[in-house]
Amino acid sequence: MQTFKKAWRRNAVAYMFLSPWLIGLLGLSLIPMVTSLYLSFTNYDMFTSPVWTGMENYTQMFEDSKYLASIKVTTIYVMLSVPLQLMFALGVALLLNRGLRGLKFYRAVYYVPSLFGGSVAVALLWRQLFGGEGLINRGLALFGIEGTNWISSPDTALYTLVILAVWQFGAPMVIFLAGLKQVPLELYEAARIDGAGKFKQFFKITLPMISPIVLFNLIMQIIHAFQAFTPAYIVSGGEGGPLDSTLFYTLYLYQKAFTHFDMGYAAAMAWILLIAIAIITAIIFGTSKKWVFYQE
Amino acid sequence: MKKLRALIFSLISVFLLVGVVGCSSGDSSKEASGDGKDEKVEIRFTWWGDTKRHELYNAIVDRFEEKYPNIKVKREFGGWPEYWEKLTTQIAGGNAPDVVSMHQFYVADYARRNALLELSDYVKENTINQGEFPESVVNSGKVDDKLYMIAQGVTMPGLVYNKKLFDELGVEYPKQGWTYDDFTAKVKELKSKGIWGVQDFSGGQLQPNFRYFARSNGQDLFTKEGKLGFKKETLVKWWTMWDELRKAEAIPDAATGTEYESAPLEQNLFVTGKTAIHQIPANQLYLYQQQFPDGELAMVTMPTVDGGEQGEYIEGAYLSITQKSKHPKEAALFINFFVNEEKALELFKVEQGSPGSTKMADFVKPLLEPAQTKAVEFIQSAVKNASPAPYSPAGVTELEAAFKDSASAISFGKMSVEEAADKFMKQAESILK
Repeated sequence: MQTFKKAWRRNAVAYMFLSPWLIGLLGLSLIPMVTSLYLSFTNYDMFTSPVWTGMENYTQMFEDSKYLASIKVTTIYVMLSVPLQLMFALGVALLLNRGLRGLKFYRAVYYVPSLFGGSVAVALLWRQLFGGEGLINRGLALFGIEGTNWISSPDTALYTLVILAVWQFGAPMVIFLAGLKQVPLELYEAARIDGAGKFKQFFKITLPMISPIVLFNLIMQIIHAFQAFTPAYIVSGGEGGPLDSTLFYTLYLYQKAFTHFDMGYAAAMAWILLIAIAIITAIIFGTSKKWVFYQE
Repeated sequence: MKKLRALIFSLISVFLLVGVVGCSSGDSSKEASGDGKDEKVEIRFTWWGDTKRHELYNAIVDRFEEKYPNIKVKREFGGWPEYWEKLTTQIAGGNAPDVVSMHQFYVADYARRNALLELSDYVKENTINQGEFPESVVNSGKVDDKLYMIAQGVTMPGLVYNKKLFDELGVEYPKQGWTYDDFTAKVKELKSKGIWGVQDFSGGQLQPNFRYFARSNGQDLFTKEGKLGFKKETLVKWWTMWDELRKAEAIPDAATGTEYESAPLEQNLFVTGKTAIHQIPANQLYLYQQQFPDGELAMVTMPTVDGGEQGEYIEGAYLSITQKSKHPKEAALFINFFVNEEKALELFKVEQGSPGSTKMADFVKPLLEPAQTKAVEFIQSAVKNASPAPYSPAGVTELEAAFKDSASAISFGKMSVEEAADKFMKQAESILK
């Protein structure tokens, strides 16, 4: 007790200075999180006070066909968009890393889509591009191909959103580019002298050397993809249609909370998502010992 | 000593920060009013609508503020779907506007959750005057025999078509009081002339489209007890009707329908000339007419089942006061101004329907454009057939979504009508438990 008092006296000033941040942490993160955990065990419609229902929200999920559909849609989206986006980003970074003149200009240009990628305007643009009379179909018409209505067909709607995600490759690209600059040139020289071709150099030198960056990008983009919301919301008019084909997990969560007034269920969904992302991240970290190479 | 000074400094800095935050939401409600008589009061008013309505309502609110200089009205508005999402969140958060626009389809949900104020006291003391309101209109604002909302405008849905287009195609105009058989025949006839008859209404807008069909079959969406009010056979009939039209290509395919579903008025299938008939609330007739500079639009009643009942029930836009309003008296004054004063109605005309007060309905008549006059006539003749409709139970939005899901499963060919109807009935049971 004595030591605690002493420590407090010594650190009180520091806490005082920290307090604006501490208040923010408590008020904006910690308290809402604890509240949401509590709500996830209740039936809460926002008008009347929450009623404790135990695990009901969690067990109900697995009988909810829309919930299961949203898991399927989100999984496909993450599995497709993340690898494609990273490959694309790495490809462009490799091209830009060859001592191009005007590198700064290109880097900025390729980064631009990421800047407004999550925005409403781009999602609206996507509707125009992939609509029945959109630009894509007009282009196809020039070659005599009759395109379908990409956005509003259940078989293709999700893939237009995958393309939208891949198109926003700017952020991982810039990080890859920075990583590529760190690879010592001597390694390539030595490899060339030993007769290694371009492909061998890429797989034996470049990839291992930037593997920590790959790990970072992979995790960040996976989290990002799991939490994707805006594009599906705008493109499907908030419904996740047609036929639930773009019903992202977060979109369904939003519907549950704000159109069906089922806050408890939505809170439970949020916690499942958090746990799922945590587990996946942990697995990737676990395997990373096998494929990530740290110098020294 | 030094430590103490540091402590004081840090405390001050915190208070400064808090002060900064506090200042940004300056408290104006305590300022004295210009004439020095009354305390200055601020109320908030929210509505749904498009850009034109926003301009109009802002102008009406300005006139209210002119008349009551001690009341300031803060305005909030948005499109129809966002409006309801925002309102729910605000009411749950305890910071809902004082005066809110309300609708029949949702009022019961809000009233029964104690989110709205009972208004009969304000009517009794005549702050809100309903003396000139027909009884049916007054009653349409009640839930469980308690008054929760005051009618701004009463409207009726109907089907609109362009006379000029029908003349050009050589198709006869639809007749008032037509049946669903006449309707499908007309849609197919239009198809044979090379235009889609109507957009696919099989799943969107449970109310009014399917509701009219159910009511004409002697049923309804809901029972008074809040259970599902129609039989599976009725639903199968409804979806079969649309499925046949779809298979005959007399209505747009599922993908095209989905694409245009949420299009704004200026870009929807009817206005862009892809379909020949469209369902609208009559008060929007003049908005549609503005999109057709040459060619006169006309409205026809919703169809009935051959030998069946009339589907009509009173619909419209209403004003309510929220339970937690700090200035209910001023809010009531505002509602009264909106529905009873010539200065307001002069601008409102029939924006959200024919005015609730018959006196005001007569007052606006000479001010109307031809399309608005036509809409009022349509509403007045349809209102005669109106009978009361049960209020929607809690969970109605979820039910709407399930209805639409099943309908699109049919239209995209993923389910048969029978399967989809089974699925919906099962879902409905668990939603309306």
